Amino acid sequence: MNQMQEYEKLSFEEAMIELESVVSKLDAGEGTLDESIALFQKGVMLSKLCSSRLEEIEKRVRVLTDDGLGTKKEIAFSEESTNKGEKE
Amino acid sequence: MNAVFSVSDLNHYVGEVLASDPVLSAVRVRGEISGFKKYPSGHLYFSLKDKESQVNCVAFRGNAAHFSFVPENGMSVIITARASLYDRDGRFQLVVYEMEKDGVGDLFAAFEKLKAQLEEEGIFDIAHKMAIPMLPRRIGVVTSPKGAVIQDIIHVLSRRFPNFDLLIYPSAVQGQTAAAEIRKGVEWFNTTDLVDVIIVARGGGSIEDLWCFNDEALARTIYHSHIPVISAVGHETDFTICDFASDLRAPTPSAAAEMVMPIKSELLAGINAQTDRLTRSLLHSVAIRKNRLMMLSRSKALLSPLRRVESESQRLDMLTLRLTHSLNRRVDSSARRIDKDIASLDALSPLKVLSRGYSLATNPITGSCITSVSQVSPGQPVQIQLADGLVHCKAENIQAGRIL
Repeated sequence: MNQMQEYEKLSFEEAMIELESVVSKLDAGEGTLDESIALFQKGVMLSKLCSSRLEEIEKRVRVLTDDGLGTKKEIAFSEESTNKGEKE
Repeated sequence: MNAVFSVSDLNHYVGEVLASDPVLSAVRVRGEISGFKKYPSGHLYFSLKDKESQVNCVAFRGNAAHFSFVPENGMSVIITARASLYDRDGRFQLVVYEMEKDGVGDLFAAFEKLKAQLEEEGIFDIAHKMAIPMLPRRIGVVTSPKGAVIQDIIHVLSRRFPNFDLLIYPSAVQGQTAAAEIRKGVEWFNTTDLVDVIIVARGGGSIEDLWCFNDEALARTIYHSHIPVISAVGHETDFTICDFASDLRAPTPSAAAEMVMPIKSELLAGINAQTDRLTRSLLHSVAIRKNRLMMLSRSKALLSPLRRVESESQRLDMLTLRLTHSLNRRVDSSARRIDKDIASLDALSPLKVLSRGYSLATNPITGSCITSVSQVSPGQPVQIQLADGLVHCKAENIQAGRIL
């Protein structure tokens, strides 16, 4: 669906604002039943998108180290990794 | 020979000499505090030392209460004092009136000057500040990877949003190289574009420890960052140039973690609330329409429009029929009446009467009908009209009275 592709680009914040606006419009109860159903479907899509935005953040804490050639490399962070340096 | 002093007299005399000396009655001395003790009386006792020497000091409660900070061992200070001799021990000491942090005056002046200059340039403009994203997909932090600060940040983040993504740029946060390292960190995040927000963090410390965050170049780097920067330096009461230049100032590193990441369970509850409202609204909207439909379906007028047309058309047929009948009846009766009229006209015709044997008498002179014997006298001509001709007669005698 074209609209779904359009939504995929939205950030959590944008999707949440859009969802709130859709809910308010539907709440107002104006328009035809077809329009109401279209709003509902749009809202469900946005709600799913918001939830997925929360889950798609990868849980990780990483720290940058110098590889000695002037570029930075990410390694997993732990108290030990900073103290020992190179170990991942 | 000279007179011999008692010890008491000597100490008293030296005391007098010290007190009468114009220099020693209000002398400013720079040194480092050591052996600091605060007595329950409120008096402060300590030594002031430099690399080679030290001198005993006392600050009586009345003066100590007006110091702008609590003295600590190792602190470099400038005191204003008078020299005196403690009679009992014969010990030289300084009675301190005032105390200020050494070098702070210079630092403070430099800070104010830089702050005013950058403010003038618009580096601190509110209008230039960027909003912190509601949900950063990845957070960058420039800080020391060792110590409590990064642990505090990780702890707060994991409590609020278990699956957070943090990237640490390790940096010195005090000392000569710190400002440049922190600046490089902010620049690195801007070049690589891996994070949605940058936190510059450091725990509490002395004004000298935090001094690297009062760096002009760092302020400019933060100002030019296209990624929002949160400054979380020192304690709540410490303000640095970095705080003013950043998009958001957090009172502590833990507070920065609170500000940067929302509470996941609250966001989920928010989404669920919106979704519930969505469903309720649609159901409500359908219910309203269903209700309206039911009302309409009960209305006879709209039950079936065709039925109304049918019934009207039937009524029209009936009316047409009645009209036709009525017209026909009227035409028939008119026709019949005309026939009857014609018949009666025919019956009344004098010719028809004459043909039945009747005749009509007229006065040939006047031409008028004779309807009475009184109109005739004997010898008078009378014309008698029959159905097929006239008879010219003369009246012979007249007899009145009814004969038929």
